[in-house]
Amino acid sequence: MELSVFDLSKQLGVAQDTIERWVRQGKLPVIKKGRNYRFDAKELKKWASNHNIKLNFYDKKNMPQKERLSVIPLSVAVQNGGVYFDIQGHDVNSALQSSIEKISMIPDDFKSDLLDRLIEREKALSTGIGNGIAIPHPREQLNYLKNPLVSVCFLDNPVDYKALDNKSVSVLFFILCPDLKMHLHLLSALSFCLRDHKFIEFLKSGPDYAGLIEKIEIIQKTNPI
Amino acid sequence: MSKIKHFYKNLYRRLFQLDDRLLLIIAGSIAGICSGLAAVALRLSLESVLEILHPFRHYGWAFILPAVGALLSSFYLEKIAREGAGHGVPEVIYSVSRYGGILRFRSSYSRLISSFLTIGSGGSAGPEAPVVMSGSAIGSNIAKFLGLNDRQRITLVGCGTAGAIASIFNAPIAGMVFAIEVILGEWKFVNIIPIAIAAVAGAQVSHAIIPDQVIFNHLPFQVGGADILPSLGLAVVAAMVSVLFTKVLRQTGKIAKKSSLPFWARAIIGGSTVGIIGMFMPVVLAEGYHSIQSMISGTFSMGMFFVFLAVFAKIFATAMTLGWGGSGGIFAPCLVIGSLTGVLFHKMLIILVPSFGCASEGAYALLGMTGLVSGVMQAPLTGIFLIVEITGGYETILPLIVVSSISSTMSHYIEPASFYFKELIERGQFLRPGTDARILSDLNIRELIETGFVKVSENMVFRKFIELLKTSDQNFFPVIEDGTQEYKGVIQISTIRKFALDPGMYDMVFLNQIMDTNVLTASLENDLQEVLDMMDINHMDSMPVVENNRFVGMISKTRILDLYRRELIMQTSDH
Amino acid sequence: MNYKLLHIFRNTPFGRETFLQSLYFCKIINAFPVAYIPKNDKFLMYFSNDAVQVDLDHSYLTSPDTAKGHAEDLFKEMQIKPMFYEPKNYTASTLPDISTNFDYLCCPRSVSDLSSKIGLGHIGPKVRRMIKHSPFPILITSPVFKPWKSISVFFGGSKNALNALKLGLKIAISSGFGLKIYTLLEKQDKAYYKDLIQKEGLAEPVKQLSGHWHFYEKKDFNTMLYDVPHDSLIVLGAYGHGIIKDILLGSKMEQIQSTVTNNLLITGPYCSVKL
Repeated sequence: MELSVFDLSKQLGVAQDTIERWVRQGKLPVIKKGRNYRFDAKELKKWASNHNIKLNFYDKKNMPQKERLSVIPLSVAVQNGGVYFDIQGHDVNSALQSSIEKISMIPDDFKSDLLDRLIEREKALSTGIGNGIAIPHPREQLNYLKNPLVSVCFLDNPVDYKALDNKSVSVLFFILCPDLKMHLHLLSALSFCLRDHKFIEFLKSGPDYAGLIEKIEIIQKTNPI
Repeated sequence: MSKIKHFYKNLYRRLFQLDDRLLLIIAGSIAGICSGLAAVALRLSLESVLEILHPFRHYGWAFILPAVGALLSSFYLEKIAREGAGHGVPEVIYSVSRYGGILRFRSSYSRLISSFLTIGSGGSAGPEAPVVMSGSAIGSNIAKFLGLNDRQRITLVGCGTAGAIASIFNAPIAGMVFAIEVILGEWKFVNIIPIAIAAVAGAQVSHAIIPDQVIFNHLPFQVGGADILPSLGLAVVAAMVSVLFTKVLRQTGKIAKKSSLPFWARAIIGGSTVGIIGMFMPVVLAEGYHSIQSMISGTFSMGMFFVFLAVFAKIFATAMTLGWGGSGGIFAPCLVIGSLTGVLFHKMLIILVPSFGCASEGAYALLGMTGLVSGVMQAPLTGIFLIVEITGGYETILPLIVVSSISSTMSHYIEPASFYFKELIERGQFLRPGTDARILSDLNIRELIETGFVKVSENMVFRKFIELLKTSDQNFFPVIEDGTQEYKGVIQISTIRKFALDPGMYDMVFLNQIMDTNVLTASLENDLQEVLDMMDINHMDSMPVVENNRFVGMISKTRILDLYRRELIMQTSDH
Repeated sequence: MNYKLLHIFRNTPFGRETFLQSLYFCKIINAFPVAYIPKNDKFLMYFSNDAVQVDLDHSYLTSPDTAKGHAEDLFKEMQIKPMFYEPKNYTASTLPDISTNFDYLCCPRSVSDLSSKIGLGHIGPKVRRMIKHSPFPILITSPVFKPWKSISVFFGGSKNALNALKLGLKIAISSGFGLKIYTLLEKQDKAYYKDLIQKEGLAEPVKQLSGHWHFYEKKDFNTMLYDVPHDSLIVLGAYGHGIIKDILLGSKMEQIQSTVTNNLLITGPYCSVKL
């Protein structure tokens, strides 16, 4: 494999000027083709190992890419999680329990475990963020889920959620994620939506599934991430 | 047919491009032979001109001879060759460490001619530095002709040097050691072999042309264990003399520079002073190989007091020659002063302890030479090997090593920089491979700079900026003026944190209100050393680079460390 | 971009013309002129494979006390911020090293011979050596300051000529002036040259920036030179084939530069131009 100065500079993470200087100073084995320099990958490797130089040399294919998080928009997460109406419950625990039972995306084996975790989280600090809305979520990531999901549950009767503004809560947004980064992202996207008073009014009006998704799509367009 | 061509191409690549050992050995021996020839030519022409001028030395006007020589020599250097004065060795070292040994073609002959004029007319200087200069320039120009890279060129510069020294003294090992110890400053496998071959080639050339090496021929010495103790004393004296010599040389040079005389007047003054001293004490004139020869062989006929005076006279004459416009080296004067010191010491020893069974005067002359060479150049190995080779035997090796090590240590204590390096150290240009200074000088800001920063306008609202911040992983945002794109200041995330957490500020401020305008900036022309100093003094980790009021990029300590390490690995690895 | 032009300032009326030429060039292409006021009659430039010692004629050292002031006045006249170059390193105490980290260098036709001897048709030996080794283009000025309004590239098809064409395009982009290409048909026909720039990916920019590509038969060389507008900057590559011609920078270039009075921008064999 032959490399150009540009390739080598990318692979070694130094400037092209540096490579050219090294060539000029005779520090790299080079093949001169007219005015251009070419490097033979094999020769370079041999040279590096002979001189005990660590080149941090990668093949082109295996070059570590900067990991780019594939971001799922909130609306998709809600579509994943689903919207559920008429949830029964008279206090925090029972409301959570009946919600979990309804959410179809959670495997049955894990439902009781998840409930424990959610309750534990609520004990630590209430997730009721005010205006009758709570965002229950576990503190650990849930490896058994394939996709991040946000489930919206409308309660039949508002329950006392020990929220910040002491208002009782009637809408729950469950954020359930397989990894932490996604969780933070969804949390931030959701809280952006919930800062919008119109959106809260809209929630209170008891929207249907399609209307809710559409509304979220509109809001998240104004919040570029 | 194409197969053969391919095979040939492959072979050529393997032999000469990817592995250059063979190439360097061939080119190195050519460099050694050429510089050997140059050295022999200078030596022969010096001998003959001294021979021709010898009868005139008895006339009263003879003191004018060195003046004329110095005048011609400095006129030649200033107006014809247009080279800077000086003996040239620092120039070679400078070029080796900063520019990969690139030397001008004119250097390969200019110093030969000027030093021929100086020394031939009787000026007190040595022909070694000029031949080193021309030898190294020959090596460098061979490399240029072959289109070699810096490393190979440096090796050839070493080859040229080694060939020149080897040829002028007929001492191959001394040539090799001098090239590596003084000129290159690094002992590397790949250097040593071509340089050794070049040194041998140079010595062989000299031997072939002048088969009867009259000077410095082998003389057997009887040096016993009893001489160790006096040699300690001699070493101390030699160290003192070398320090004196170095200081006088530099001071005279400084005085000459300060005087606002034109170069020709300086040359005349310097030359005539030397001439007048030479009237009374001919031992100070010229390179002095013959006096050395007579001192070694014990046929030197001056009285103790005269020898004592001669030491100082030679020092002064050399300083006047070199500092005031003549051209030449200090190697031969060192040898003369050293042997005079040795003879003086021996004479004193005889008077003080008449019954002491010490070695002959010649042996002490040798020891004195080693002492001076080691002391002035602070190159102990060169001193030892030169004398060993000149005498052709190892009888004196023990006292030689004693004298050499004590003398170089002592003079190093008093004057930490040797004569060759002092000028470079003062200019901050003593850049031996693998040292911090060298790495910092090799890396330039252009190579270290990180680019690709998103720039923001100074009229941007803070809220807009916060949104930009969400999607960016930059820690620094250069702020530029809208129309002209000129750099105005920088926003560091660390300093705006408290505003960023306060949503009340978002719509209240523009970026030009919160940016830092007094952050120090670097320019592409700055040396890395300067930038690092600025960063250290101001406790900065990163610094914007601004050129002509435009933001170019950032330079950060993290990046510097990364590249510094790589550079260190590259420089110190054995090629 | 931060292009920089090095100008070696000569404190004489002739030097003033040269300097105005540099300043105008920089103004047009948005580069920054940097003036070096020599304090010694010689300097060294270390290129990648050679060191060129430039021996300046003594008119460069004329009345050193006024030099800086004169240069500043000229900078101001052209409304450019004055910038001066100070050598950092010295090979010998009277021999400064001049950095080669510049993008352009401006020279009159000769620096080391007396300027009174310079007519057309004589490029001094030092300027030649600089062209031969320099990694940047060299602006060789006409004796009297004359603003140019267009760009003419002599394109002969060699590798250097391609470089010159690139440089011409680059200057056309940054100056907004028109570009004309002149080609002398020596051995090949028109299609060959068109194909050549196509291969180099220059066809598109050439089409956009240059309306005119003039071809001439070999015998019409002098006609071609006369057709080049008098107020045009000529961009050309120093060809250099073979040792003898190499010293003379090739006969074509010799003929061109001895015939025309225009400003020349020359790319040498080591010159690299990036579009």
